Amino acid sequence: MKNVILALIILISTKLSIAENLEEKGFNIAKSSYESGRGFTDMISDQLMILIDPKGNKVTREISAKSLENLDPNDGDKTITYFETPKDVEGTVMLSHTHINEDDDQWLYLPALTRVKRISSSNKSGSFMGSEVAFEDFSAGDYRKYKWKYIGEEVYEGDLCYVLESYPIYENSGYTRRVGLTDELLRARKIDFYDRKGELLKTVFFENYNLYEDKIWMADSMKVENHQNKNATIFQWQNRKLNVGLDKKEFEKSSLMRLAD
Amino acid sequence: MIQNPFQRKIVIFFLVTLLHASNTNALDFKAYGFIQPESSIYINGDGRHGQDNYNASLFGKGTFVSYLQDGDAKFTISTIGRFDQSDGELRYLDFQKFKYEYYFDDITLKVGNEIVFWGVNETFNIVDIINQSNLAEDIAGTKKLGQPMASISYSQDYGTFDIYLMPYFRVRPFSGKEGRPRLLFEVDKNSITYESSAKKRKMDFALRYSTVIDDLDIGLSHFYGNNRTPVLSPNPLTLKFNSHYPVLSQTGVDIQATKGPWLYKLETVSAKDGSERYLSAAGGIEYTYYGIRKTQSDLGVIVEYAFDDRNDNPFNNEGIVGLRWSMNDVKSSSLLAGYLFDMRGNSNRFQAEFEQRINDNLKLFLDLSFNGSIDGTDFTHQFKEDSQITIKVAKYF
Repeated sequence: MKNVILALIILISTKLSIAENLEEKGFNIAKSSYESGRGFTDMISDQLMILIDPKGNKVTREISAKSLENLDPNDGDKTITYFETPKDVEGTVMLSHTHINEDDDQWLYLPALTRVKRISSSNKSGSFMGSEVAFEDFSAGDYRKYKWKYIGEEVYEGDLCYVLESYPIYENSGYTRRVGLTDELLRARKIDFYDRKGELLKTVFFENYNLYEDKIWMADSMKVENHQNKNATIFQWQNRKLNVGLDKKEFEKSSLMRLAD
Repeated sequence: MIQNPFQRKIVIFFLVTLLHASNTNALDFKAYGFIQPESSIYINGDGRHGQDNYNASLFGKGTFVSYLQDGDAKFTISTIGRFDQSDGELRYLDFQKFKYEYYFDDITLKVGNEIVFWGVNETFNIVDIINQSNLAEDIAGTKKLGQPMASISYSQDYGTFDIYLMPYFRVRPFSGKEGRPRLLFEVDKNSITYESSAKKRKMDFALRYSTVIDDLDIGLSHFYGNNRTPVLSPNPLTLKFNSHYPVLSQTGVDIQATKGPWLYKLETVSAKDGSERYLSAAGGIEYTYYGIRKTQSDLGVIVEYAFDDRNDNPFNNEGIVGLRWSMNDVKSSSLLAGYLFDMRGNSNRFQAEFEQRINDNLKLFLDLSFNGSIDGTDFTHQFKEDSQITIKVAKYF
């Protein structure tokens, strides 16, 4: 009897430690993956967003963006987005101070009102400009936003990938679970997103990876396929430049009027 | 089209500067705009001043921005114009922005016409004072005229100071004889008096400090100059309104707290208008439900209230309940609707604005303004029969 109890204790504790190991392993891969994308200091890019409906009709949106890396391990980056098309929103500027597991601080300059408004950002799960991309998807690679679990390995497009499951910490997230593939160069390749009901919502494919500054892999294309409404969105980064020496003061509310047309 | 000599001088100065700049380096610029035919139907039939029950109008806006001196400076023109079928006061061109800005590290210098908005409220913008309102465009006063100014802005971590010097005053435009809605009498443009002996040339002055502390956006402001709102008094000889512009000294505070889906807003003003002192406060709450009925659409509920201790002020005890519905679809369909009510009496009106993109270059707007019961003593009684539906289609280029 004693032996049985001992065996059970050993069995349970081994299982626990394996579970812990899987979580730790998942966390460590996610953390390394995130950190391999850091060190860009600041970044500018033009972005093209192509919205595709189930019939294959396409509309294109153009924006240009700047971002400033935040080296604070407990806080997020700052971004400025300037909307170019559709033309009725041309001249709209959005400033975001992102935070990891809280609402972001967000201001919008609206040219029709010639006014800067502080807006609520608790809709991180909401659609970005009518696309299949949610605001929270822009920081999908931030390991601090999720709990992680290593599931195994899988070959994807000829590359060996880690299979990682993650669970959002942010309470207003639109997801309950994600299953992603991260390759041996620590690049996220594909993530399946499960909605609040636990059903498969969409798959995001990270494509067209390029090596910037000889050290940072960045996907210059992100394809989102929504399995429920059958819409798709292709997000492309163009003219991306890192470490261009942007002034951190540009990313404050007081500088928003400098960007107003 | 540029009617006053001061503005004409500024325009010439800028054109010379621009030509000079374009000679010295390649011009880096962007230009865009739209043209918008509009058509209004007045659902109460002909107006009380014999105005037609239908009106057509053409509105347009053009924006030109040029970056100079390697991006350290910017030259901006943003002009709006309208050609209205009926109202001569709605045939105009206005340089909303016609400015040259120079950027130092912490300092922005600016000269020219500019639109400056102060405040946080959706409806009762009581702190906002820099720009003259064009009441011919909109009786709520949300459409502005470009204000000539020289300004300096100084930013530090603890906040931003803005100083404005405004050497030229712009008289408030009102609807003309054929305009709809219009006041009981025409406003006589040849009978304007000022408290200030410098009249239009009075050097108006304003100062603002603004800062962000976590989820609070705070502004403190002071304005000293010609009041943008004139006192109108009927002249028995001309049967028109004479206008008098007192000198206004106004101190304002505006605060917004952003707490998740909740926005809390407050504006207060303590002012001396001519010889009259008054206190005014307006504020409200906005709450947004995200992803209603499992769709991408958001529904915002807005409640605002305005108080003014002057009994004769039209907004001395006024409230609004509004809804903002955003579909977040490819067409950016949205609806803003508000029910405005005077809490002193029984006056109320309903307003709604719907908009939807037709394609990448076209957008449809539908505006509805419906007057409910309006007390005979209420300021807006003169607009009672001017309920209207307006369709606008903007073509962007």
